[in-house]
Amino acid sequence: MRKRIVLVLPAILALVLSLAASFRQADVKVLQLGNGLKVLLVEDHNIPNIALYTFFRVGSRNERTGLTGVSHFCEHMMFNGTAKVGPGEFDRRMEFRGGSNNAYTADDMTVYTDWFPAAALEAMIEMEADRMQGLAFVPEVLESERGVVASERRVSVDNNNDSILNENVRATAIMAHPYHWDVIGWMSDILSWRRDEIMAYYRTYYAPNNAVLVIVGDFEAARTLELIKKYYEPIKASPPPPPVTTVEPPQMGPKTVLIRKEAQAPSYMAVWHAPNVKDPDFLPLSILAKPLLDGESSRLYRRLVREEQLAIYVGGGVQETIDPYLFMIDVKPRPGADLERIDRTVEEELAKIKAEGITPREFEKAMNGVRSDFYMSLQTISGKANQLGAYELTYGDFGRLFTIMDDYAAVKIDRVKEVAVKYFTGNNKTVGKLIPEGGAK
Amino acid sequence: MKTSVLRSFALALVAVLAAPAFGAAASRLPAPEKIVLKNGMTVYYLRNSDLPVVSFQMFVRGAGTAFAPPEAEGVAGLTAALMTKGTAKMDADAIAEALDFMGASFNLSCADEYAQVRGDSLAQHFPKLMEIAADCLTGPSFKDEEFVKERAREIDSLKSLKDNPGAAVRSYFRKAYFGSHPLGRLASESSLGKITVQAVRDFCARRFRPDHSVAAVVGDIEKDKLAALLEATLGRWANPAGAAPSDGIPALPQPKGRKLVLIDKPDATQAYFVLGAPGYPMGDKVTPQAAVMNTLWGGRFTSWLNTELRIKRGLTYGASSVFWTWAPGGVFQASSYTKNDKIGEALDITFGLLAKGGQEGFSADEIESGRNYIQGQFPPTLETNASKAGAYVRLAFYKLGFDYYDKYLAAIGKVSPAEAKAAAGALLPRNDYVLVVVGKAADIRAQLQKFGTWQEKKISDPGF
Repeated sequence: MRKRIVLVLPAILALVLSLAASFRQADVKVLQLGNGLKVLLVEDHNIPNIALYTFFRVGSRNERTGLTGVSHFCEHMMFNGTAKVGPGEFDRRMEFRGGSNNAYTADDMTVYTDWFPAAALEAMIEMEADRMQGLAFVPEVLESERGVVASERRVSVDNNNDSILNENVRATAIMAHPYHWDVIGWMSDILSWRRDEIMAYYRTYYAPNNAVLVIVGDFEAARTLELIKKYYEPIKASPPPPPVTTVEPPQMGPKTVLIRKEAQAPSYMAVWHAPNVKDPDFLPLSILAKPLLDGESSRLYRRLVREEQLAIYVGGGVQETIDPYLFMIDVKPRPGADLERIDRTVEEELAKIKAEGITPREFEKAMNGVRSDFYMSLQTISGKANQLGAYELTYGDFGRLFTIMDDYAAVKIDRVKEVAVKYFTGNNKTVGKLIPEGGAK
Repeated sequence: MKTSVLRSFALALVAVLAAPAFGAAASRLPAPEKIVLKNGMTVYYLRNSDLPVVSFQMFVRGAGTAFAPPEAEGVAGLTAALMTKGTAKMDADAIAEALDFMGASFNLSCADEYAQVRGDSLAQHFPKLMEIAADCLTGPSFKDEEFVKERAREIDSLKSLKDNPGAAVRSYFRKAYFGSHPLGRLASESSLGKITVQAVRDFCARRFRPDHSVAAVVGDIEKDKLAALLEATLGRWANPAGAAPSDGIPALPQPKGRKLVLIDKPDATQAYFVLGAPGYPMGDKVTPQAAVMNTLWGGRFTSWLNTELRIKRGLTYGASSVFWTWAPGGVFQASSYTKNDKIGEALDITFGLLAKGGQEGFSADEIESGRNYIQGQFPPTLETNASKAGAYVRLAFYKLGFDYYDKYLAAIGKVSPAEAKAAAGALLPRNDYVLVVVGKAADIRAQLQKFGTWQEKKISDPGF
């Protein structure tokens, strides 16, 4: 039931050719305060509400062994009190004004999402500015929240076979870079972070010079800028956080993860190291993912689900990340399905693309999908806020949102074949299998 | 991006987003125009040219899961799924290819009381989308081969569902609460195995009919063009001969005493519970009072339930409550999960809060906060074309009137502490309820004994 906000997936990237009529770069007012806080404002009076999104450049990518999961924990603590606003007060005050909020932590970023009626704007800006600088980390509250996060890990990973496999595959494929661990962190770390370590981490990364504020909705820009200056300008910048310097070494041979546990159905996934979001190979790979994996007409869905009936669903693709991550193929096998045969089928379909590329019709289909997803994502003020902020953080330029379709359109179809040959090699692959055991059938 | 871990309060938002009938506040639903097709079907329409996209929604009364014959539980969902798997003109692959090529989405699915058809596309592709929709509604082929595949896929999906206790507990609750009542008609491995393709054909022929359907289109398309398009597509759909089948659901069960069910999942490290009791029907006059009460009790992040279980004690990542409503009645449902050794404590706290609601009620500040919250969170529920189209068909289906949200939001603004307390006293269960727990029985059985006598099942047993 979580309100899951999907960060700009490659699929949601843009076709801006005819976007001009509705949402233009000129609609975005940009301001950078002296303390480094970047502000993006878009007036949108469609509904009498406002979406206020705060993006911090911190995620599990910035963590280290012993402190895995601490970015996500800071996200939780952001609702648990500052010197001015007591534990839980942020939520109580916000809900009293008709607002609601959420937050998410990813590998590369942590995002705070507020949705509220227009009249609550000043109160929300004041509270958001307050928690950018003065979290209290009350010891008893911290311990209670540690229990919440442990429960979250149990429900999202430990009691979910696909997540267990995912965590193992990621940690096997990536051995050096912090993408090695899942955003939630290892359970032993969750149970052992020390308060002083958490506070030091917060002070390093939660600073105006490490944040982007995006506000979209029913407000008047000039007055809103005044409010932002009033509440955010007094916050001091912090020293720039240390850069992430670890580079994942090339994989030198195929890897396999095998998990045996009680389950009704097996799980399967395969991953290959893939480039980061700014690499010239990224768009060709994200185009490739569509005819391979996306929709019931995709090559792998047809073979694995429809024709050979080995699986219930197929998904995956390449992820937009600051550092190189993985291209994933995620298959939910039918109970009793032969995982070796699934793996062979995946390889056969990849071999076809390596030999022949994709068809012009598949290319056009991928473009239509990208375009349709993009417009759907811009129907809401929260969709716009999320897109702008995510582009600003991953590409370093929100303006890319308005031009990226030109880049998509410029990809030559032969590039899809080239990147398939380059990345889908045996030595670059990690395959994971979860095999039911014990009480399973 | 790849892994998002959310702080998230689940239910409050979803309850508001998925069922705007509970929502409330400032932005009203614009009155739609009405297009009546020659076959008698009504389509509500609103122009929105902000973006070049169009959304279509339709409810088919009497074609939901509750109308499956008792010997064919799951036939409704199977029918809906198979209607997009081949027609007289296009086979399943051709339909999937056409939809994916446009980047369009189109699906048929089943709620309890109705089947639901949803489609979204770029404006330029909308005529083709409606062609496909009409084709699926008027001429599904139900080929044996597709039937066998889809049935096997659904059976396997149900087995996989049981690996996810948070999802499985809802199905177990459904069955435990409703039993043989039509709202308990859940597809299971064994029931699906007995369904024949003829049963699917019969269900479709009897239950999918234009005179039981209401639709809406919202987006970037002119009315004249749309009217002609609809006549040429949905207008081809003819009513079947003979009298329409029944489309009502009998009164809901009213549990007396405690019904306790424990599902043993030996590898679970958390225990999941769902507790339910009678609620109220869709559109009932108690709706505003119940909505404010539930918002405060378990419907949002700072609710009593989430405050006690999560915020104060860190027992869980999420705890929430909701009212589910159907035409003849409803159900109140509270749910959460916690690690195995804390399930007894979590349930004690939950029962304590259920009693407190009716005994102590809520403060004036709490009531004001609950009213503001419902009203403030309402506008985004009608922000997209699809959500407006969904609201039109829902309001038409339940005959609530297109000014329903205006009235509802106004009523929310007037709910008093005394009314919310009365709603809590009437609707929060004390002694009569159904409680289902999924967890590792060996670790939790002892903690559960004090609540009464439990029926126990294994998660690996077929069905729910």
